[in-house]
Amino acid sequence: MIEQGLFWGCCLVAAVGAIGAATLRNLFHAALLLGLCLLGVAGLYLFLQAWYLACIQVVVYLGGILVLVLFATLFSSDILGERQVPSRLQQVGGVLAAGLGTAAGLHLLVVTLDHGLRLEQQRGPVDKADTGFGASGAIGDLLVGHWFPPFLVAGLLLTIALVGAVATVKRYRKAAGGTA
Amino acid sequence: MSSLHADSLTAYLVVATLLFACGLLAIATRRTAIGVLIGIELLLNSAALQFAAYGRFRAGAVDVQGQSASLFVVVVAAAEAAVVLALFFAVYRTSRDVDLEQTRELRS
Repeated sequence: MIEQGLFWGCCLVAAVGAIGAATLRNLFHAALLLGLCLLGVAGLYLFLQAWYLACIQVVVYLGGILVLVLFATLFSSDILGERQVPSRLQQVGGVLAAGLGTAAGLHLLVVTLDHGLRLEQQRGPVDKADTGFGASGAIGDLLVGHWFPPFLVAGLLLTIALVGAVATVKRYRKAAGGTA
Repeated sequence: MSSLHADSLTAYLVVATLLFACGLLAIATRRTAIGVLIGIELLLNSAALQFAAYGRFRAGAVDVQGQSASLFVVVVAAAEAAVVLALFFAVYRTSRDVDLEQTRELRS
């Protein structure tokens, strides 16, 4: 009973955070609600027995990416969102995009439940905690095993992104002197 | 409602769908680049949640392929956030704002 309550709490927090992040005009509040949504998703990872992923979600998303987003709000001259009224075209486009996203998600759900993967849902999921499921060791074994090439590519991607970010921000001296 | 509980895939997919729809809504309606960035983060989180959910409920699965795929989504999100922040900085240097409708060039 308590577990179900916590599960529904996480779902509610994720949903409210996502809706607020997408619709609030005040950018700072929207970023904070994005954090709430990320926290709710981290809770859902715990219910999926993805312990390591939940920790990563809190450390990387909440501790890193959210801080970057909050910092980025300072670049806007309209943090309070006084000029953030979407045009008629944007409103129609937004409703269409959200409707298409919902339809795609529900289609995926129906296909999955109707004739998709053989899911444990039909007989109830097995508790996989004793098999090491979701622990960092199991993920590490996979990353240095079958998934080693994509793991290397991910490392390369991060390196390129960070070098690219520094190169974009760095000021270069002009040939005639001074800074560009 | 009976199929929506912690041990059902349906509940996770419904939450992921909601996150996906909110992300698309934010990308389509926001006039500032930061709002679009928030929308992209929501989309990526939705994808990561779906990977983890499918990995958990796949029959007979004792491996963690779904969670590993989610981990790659987090890596992509981190790289994207770093690059986007650098671009914001470059745009801010030229136009003193990150409004998508006023920004026309990156050249200083």
